[in-house]
Amino acid sequence: MTLRLRKHRFADDETLMMAIVNRTPDSFFDKGATWAEDAAFERVRLVVEQGAEIVDIGGIKAAPGVEIGAAEEKARVVDFVARVREEFPGLVISVDTWRAEVGAAVCEAGADVLNDAWGGADPELVDVAGQYDAAIICTHTGGVTPRTRPYRIQYDDVMRAVLDDTLAYAERAHAAGVDRESIVIDPAHDFGKNTFHSLEVTRRLGEMVGTGWPVLVSLSNKDFVGETLDRPVGERLLGTLAATAICASAGARIYRVHQVEETRQVVDMAWTIAGRRAPARAIRGIQ
Amino acid sequence: MRVVLIPGVLALLPQHASLHDPVAELRAAVNDAVSRLGENVEIIATEQGSPVAEAVLAAVRPAATDERSVLVVANGSACRTEKAPGFLDERAAAYDDALRRALTEDPAALADPDAALAAELWADVAALPELAALVDGARAEVLYDDAPYGVQYWVMCWQVEE
Repeated sequence: MTLRLRKHRFADDETLMMAIVNRTPDSFFDKGATWAEDAAFERVRLVVEQGAEIVDIGGIKAAPGVEIGAAEEKARVVDFVARVREEFPGLVISVDTWRAEVGAAVCEAGADVLNDAWGGADPELVDVAGQYDAAIICTHTGGVTPRTRPYRIQYDDVMRAVLDDTLAYAERAHAAGVDRESIVIDPAHDFGKNTFHSLEVTRRLGEMVGTGWPVLVSLSNKDFVGETLDRPVGERLLGTLAATAICASAGARIYRVHQVEETRQVVDMAWTIAGRRAPARAIRGIQ
Repeated sequence: MRVVLIPGVLALLPQHASLHDPVAELRAAVNDAVSRLGENVEIIATEQGSPVAEAVLAAVRPAATDERSVLVVANGSACRTEKAPGFLDERAAAYDDALRRALTEDPAALADPDAALAAELWADVAALPELAALVDGARAEVLYDDAPYGVQYWVMCWQVEE
């Protein structure tokens, strides 16, 4: 399906790098490296230079911690979105938030995508996306409360649960006025899932792609990679890229990442092996 | 009669397309030359070269002409550099120079190519005797003459009065 992220359109055979930009002092990977506004802005410049099509700006870390209210979340992201919008008119701006109030403010400031990493915790977020003609990422969390860790969650069939929830969320978003071309589904690795669940979701990602909705994967340096390879944060790039290759082979369209250039190469390679992209420049043996 | 010579470069086939065309200049010259041919084109090529001829014909709109049209597929050596498919053979440059001279000045010299030398230099010259018979006495227009990947390519056109 053609993908439209507000005013930005992408053909079926295009893959997109969504670079993570944290306006947080405590996110697990960068540990506050882009907490200062100028540092975050430098990060945007860098990832654009590296070829990212999307930035995903977040004001609250996913893990539990100090409670951040809507006012503080807005203070962290709204003006920043406006600044990025002004300097990079061609860049897709996504904001990682579950709150409708924050969603409305960032759409007003120029955001194109609402990345609801917490799977519809605020039911009014879809109305905001519809109202602003923004795109929405429909994630599966198994119904957990935002910023909680999974604890003894069990599924009869984790992919069935992912499909049921994300497809229902997609239909709810459409009913709220979000264009079908602007709805993306995301299995949300590690969210409401233990490592075995995330591995199974990776292995069976083709079932999500088969629904016809564009699929986003957020694999970058996550715990399921760390636990699989027994590697701490900071040593998970290779594992992340291996999982990325599997998801690209299955047909995932959007990759939410810390490392843009490495992921781009892996996705291009896997996408080309799958026959969905031509080689950059092939002459060996055919000259 | 209109006669065109192109090389049997597999990179010209649509199934071998890249995001950045490694033979863009060659392709432009080939398309230019082939678009001068009419609708019914006789192909003179080896088994390897025939699909290339068919593909490039399919890629362009034929000229509005009733003249006999012939597309010949052949090329020089593939041993021009160390990176060439057949590695560097010191004889290759002189061999290609002689072929070029014959194509542009003395087609009759192509009537009986040295098959053993051609094989050693990985040159595709099997179609050249037939070409020589067709274009003898006509002037060649050279649209492309280069060896970008260690293989000598020519794109040439002849307008032959019958």
